Amino acid sequence: MKVTAHSLEVDTTVSLNQAATGCDLQVELVAGENCGQLRDLGFCEQMRLRKITNRGRNLICSICGSRLAISNHLAEQIQVRQLS
Amino acid sequence: MDGEQTPRLVLVGQPNVGKSTLFNALTGGKAKVGNYPGVTVAHKSGEFFTPHGKKVELVDLPGCLSLISRATDEAVTRDVLLGEEAPDLVVVVLDASSLERHLPLALQVVELGLPTLVVLNKIDVAEANGTRVNHELLGEELGLPVVPLQADAGKGLLDLKQALRFPLPLPPHPAWQADGPIGKVREDLSEKLAALGVAAADRKAWLLLADESYRSDESNGLLPEAEQVVAEVTAEENFAELVDKSRRSRVRDLAGLVVSEASGDEETFSDRLDRFLLHPVLGWVFFLGIFFLVFWSLFSWSGIPMDWIDGAFGALGDAVSGALPPGMFTDLLVDGIIAGVGGVVIFLPQILFLFFFLGVLESTGYMARAAFLMDGIMSRVGLSGRSFLPLLSGYACAIPGVMAARSVPSAKERLLTILILPWMSCSARLPVYLLLIPLLVAGSFAQGLVLFGLYFLGTAAAFLTAFLLRGRVGIEKDQEPTFLMEMPRYKGPDWGFIFRHLLDRAGSFLKKAGTVILALSILLWALATFPQAPSGEEQDQFGYSAMGRIGKVIEPVVEPLGWDHRLGTAMLASFAAREVFNSQVAISYAIEEGDDEEGTRETIRDEFRASYSIATVLSLLVFYVFALQCLPTTAVVGRETKSWKWALGQLAGMSLFAYLTALITFQLVSLIT
Repeated sequence: MKVTAHSLEVDTTVSLNQAATGCDLQVELVAGENCGQLRDLGFCEQMRLRKITNRGRNLICSICGSRLAISNHLAEQIQVRQLS
Repeated sequence: MDGEQTPRLVLVGQPNVGKSTLFNALTGGKAKVGNYPGVTVAHKSGEFFTPHGKKVELVDLPGCLSLISRATDEAVTRDVLLGEEAPDLVVVVLDASSLERHLPLALQVVELGLPTLVVLNKIDVAEANGTRVNHELLGEELGLPVVPLQADAGKGLLDLKQALRFPLPLPPHPAWQADGPIGKVREDLSEKLAALGVAAADRKAWLLLADESYRSDESNGLLPEAEQVVAEVTAEENFAELVDKSRRSRVRDLAGLVVSEASGDEETFSDRLDRFLLHPVLGWVFFLGIFFLVFWSLFSWSGIPMDWIDGAFGALGDAVSGALPPGMFTDLLVDGIIAGVGGVVIFLPQILFLFFFLGVLESTGYMARAAFLMDGIMSRVGLSGRSFLPLLSGYACAIPGVMAARSVPSAKERLLTILILPWMSCSARLPVYLLLIPLLVAGSFAQGLVLFGLYFLGTAAAFLTAFLLRGRVGIEKDQEPTFLMEMPRYKGPDWGFIFRHLLDRAGSFLKKAGTVILALSILLWALATFPQAPSGEEQDQFGYSAMGRIGKVIEPVVEPLGWDHRLGTAMLASFAAREVFNSQVAISYAIEEGDDEEGTRETIRDEFRASYSIATVLSLLVFYVFALQCLPTTAVVGRETKSWKWALGQLAGMSLFAYLTALITFQLVSLIT
């Protein structure tokens, strides 16, 4: 089977709720029923962020110096890649 | 622009960006609430003068993340900008410390083609974070004036006013779109819409291309012919996506050009504090501790000012009694007006303490954390933490709370929030609680605990009802509410905001006492005084009066609750305004006691204690926690839900529930005691 660069890249992404806390991440893809709302809040493709904490059904991220709280259900719609 | 007209400026920006602070800084906090032409939603507006002596009107619009609206309050901003009476200048307020997140909204405004000015607020926060924004380059790139400022310290306001020289800035040129395919399609669509007589065709064309949901919204006011044109233009391409991609690409370029940041996100003081305040266990300890402290302080700190007011009304009553000859007019003044209005005004210090603490919690940034904590509980009943802030507003007054529910993006969650909101104990209930609680327990700690318990009872009942009603409003059991909120940085209390808010509240409370309560006090006094018992007969005047007779009629209904005719009439009268319960009780005792004794708080409480059992007091408290005795709230619910079925159902359901729970309380407590 042919392995493309794109599929390799997708393999290295995880949804935001699965990413480890304290990590610097980059948004790769925002897809789902709430993607417009998430983009308006700042979760856009190529945006860098840090996952600060994961509490109960919500998590808190730092984007552009702001702290944003979103539910895990929304975080599932954000695919991120860990920055080294 | 007509030279004689006052130019209208509107403030547009995301929530928590400092729009209201800027509004207050420019207008001196002198705001009036009105309706923007063509938009029937209240907003704040004020006036100020430019350095050139020109008077301008400033309108503070609700915070919005995007002009592609997803919540009802966001649609207000969109409708103002896209309406026929467009503002003369849009002042877009951006957070300089988080510019990349805020720029898309600025670009959307620019795309509309309205004269625009950009304000970079919180420039001090950006600098403290090591972020530098080249505002001059940003201005050049956008083609419009950009003013950096720090609204909370008043820095940069003069620069902003200088930038408002006339003629106002021209509409900028949205270079990232105008020359591409989107610009051409928009131009074509705009021409076709204009030919069909659509007002503000160019801006409407932008919205129709950029917002798919607006396109499919039946209330967008488009004629079938115009809809046909739009359908043809948008049939082949997903313009909403194209517009969005083009804009975001421009935002990335701009941010790369004008923002230089220090390395990474450092842990801030707010992050360290959040470790405790959002901790799964400690967070709740702080939450409960903070709110208990608020309720305890209402009793322990407000005694002295309450005694002053009590003494002042007592002295006023004595002075009037001494100065005027005995008679009907003196009775009206002393027993009707002074006792009735005084019985309500005395609780002003406690109400102001409540608003003071809520203002401190809000302006320091703690309320967003409270919403975060509450989200875990609220999600189990079909709501998200987004509903917490409207519900919290309900503790002040249900009407602004119902209106604040517009910020909840989901229509079903919004309806559910509105339906349970009147169970948040509003400040009109507070005088009744404060009169009755000392009859149950002594000491400020225990009294604070009971008050906390009453607020908890209303809130818990609201959540339980939300759980039971969520199916009725269409929220599936397995549907998980979404939570999405910015956690602002902690900062010191904004004393200007808090004291302006306190003055507003005190003003509206005293206005109500001087108008509605005064009128009702006179009416209640008249009902309790006439007809006069025949002279020479040993007859109870209250029992002989119209009020006494009404009380006798409803006594069979309220008797199972442990109430007599006097409490029954007080309950009926408080459907006009809950505080009238206190006036009615004060008036009825003043009339029965005659002129020998003042109707002071303690006198009333002693009389009350002698006349009624603990079970009756508890039954009254439970009734007042649950009853929806506020017809203006029902009217606002009807308007906001666009359904009288829900509004009247809520009124009937809550009244019936209040009666039944008061009945159960009285019967159970009577059995035990």
